[in-house]
Amino acid sequence: MKGVLVKDLYIARSNILVTVVSLIVLGFGLSFLLESSALLVLAPVVSTTAAFISITSDAASKWNKNVITMPVSRNQIIGEKFLFYILLALTGMLTALVPCLIFFCFGGDVTFDSLCLYGTIGISACLLAGGISLPCAYLFDPEKSQIVFMMSFMAGTGIIAGFVLLTNLIFPVKEHILLTFNIVLAISAVWFFISYRIAVKVYQKQDIT
Amino acid sequence: MKNALEISGLTKTYPDFVLDHISFTVPSGSIVGLIGENGAGKSTTINAALGLVQKEDGVVSVLDREELDGDIKEQIGVVFDGSNYPEILSPRKLNRVMKNIYSSWDEKIYFDLLKQFSLPQDKQIKQFSKGMKMKLAISAALSHHSKLLILDEATSGLDPVVRDDILDMLLDFVQDEEHSILVSSHITSDLEKIADYIVFIHEGKVVFEMPKDELTEQYGIIKCGAAQFEALDKSELIAYRKMDYEWQALVSDRERMQKKYPKAMIVPATIDEIMLLYVKGEGKR
Repeated sequence: MKGVLVKDLYIARSNILVTVVSLIVLGFGLSFLLESSALLVLAPVVSTTAAFISITSDAASKWNKNVITMPVSRNQIIGEKFLFYILLALTGMLTALVPCLIFFCFGGDVTFDSLCLYGTIGISACLLAGGISLPCAYLFDPEKSQIVFMMSFMAGTGIIAGFVLLTNLIFPVKEHILLTFNIVLAISAVWFFISYRIAVKVYQKQDIT
Repeated sequence: MKNALEISGLTKTYPDFVLDHISFTVPSGSIVGLIGENGAGKSTTINAALGLVQKEDGVVSVLDREELDGDIKEQIGVVFDGSNYPEILSPRKLNRVMKNIYSSWDEKIYFDLLKQFSLPQDKQIKQFSKGMKMKLAISAALSHHSKLLILDEATSGLDPVVRDDILDMLLDFVQDEEHSILVSSHITSDLEKIADYIVFIHEGKVVFEMPKDELTEQYGIIKCGAAQFEALDKSELIAYRKMDYEWQALVSDRERMQKKYPKAMIVPATIDEIMLLYVKGEGKR
């Protein structure tokens, strides 16, 4: 599994410039339009595109076929992709903290609470989206899975909005905003794990040609 | 270990194709050539044997084990047609990937092979020619002390010089009696050079499995006119075909037929001709 992760990290490294530039541009843009910490919502989303690129690159180069003949189980192949996705999301989050801290040092509107809130929303959206797009990348052809990948972030955001609205019926979200989004984060993590188990099950039986 | 690979009754059904109870073996220390036209089932057989596609029926035994676990996969080197590795990698980066996948990965062998094939270590694979990619794939397949090498159309689309280099490498590999190769190709001249056994697959079925020398030394083609063809005992012909100016008939015992029909022109058959007559000819087969 380590070797497959090393391979994916090489692929991610080849796209790192695009990711970092995107985050910096988004960071500055958001600092004028919204709160600077809102970058934490977008950072995991931007950084995890590398996971999707790696899946399509595997199919294009037939690595997905070759790796099955190597001493790596199908479970490990799927597990590595999900792990890679989480690593990318966390790396994106940490990278986004840098401009946030810079804004903080220059008197920007960055607080610990806003970092926690936006960070939680970002990771939740990312886990929900990954839970949809990662299994689909193995189920559908590259064109369809590309559409699913783009839609999944919208779906993730929609699910969060829906959940928050529902929660608001039980208790006022505005008064318990961090608690609400921590629940969202927990649900997203459970969904991501279920999605991993589904992907493993699907991939076990899949013909790779 | 008698056989490096044993395939018995391998079956897989697709909506428009059936791989129908394929059975053959790859004896240890030998090279087995899998031949057949495009779509005959060669790649499906290899994919099913390697666990890439789920078989419906049959048994595949690799290096005496029916379960393709990590230990067995360590001992199998596989090369597919075209690209095998992410093209963003260089051979040096590929080494770092592979040494974390194969516990038996041997960097020295890998870099020696890169040197032998004159492959640059730091150039991205996407900048490689098709021949260079294939040489890299073979270098990787040979760098983890594989006992069984499986090549699926690995020499297709390569120029004769590169193909010859690769064939030499394969012949070197089987000098060790524990090493074996299964190579599928429709370039039958390559198999005539290196294969010990030929397995012919046609429309998802094994037509024959026999030593190559038996094929090339015993099989023959009777080339004759219409009158002479009419006089032949059809039950002794494997397949026959009317060409523009002559009839061609495939026979399994050239010498015996020459004695029986002393006036007939019977020439040795190439694997290509045997395959063509089986696929396009008529007769009992």
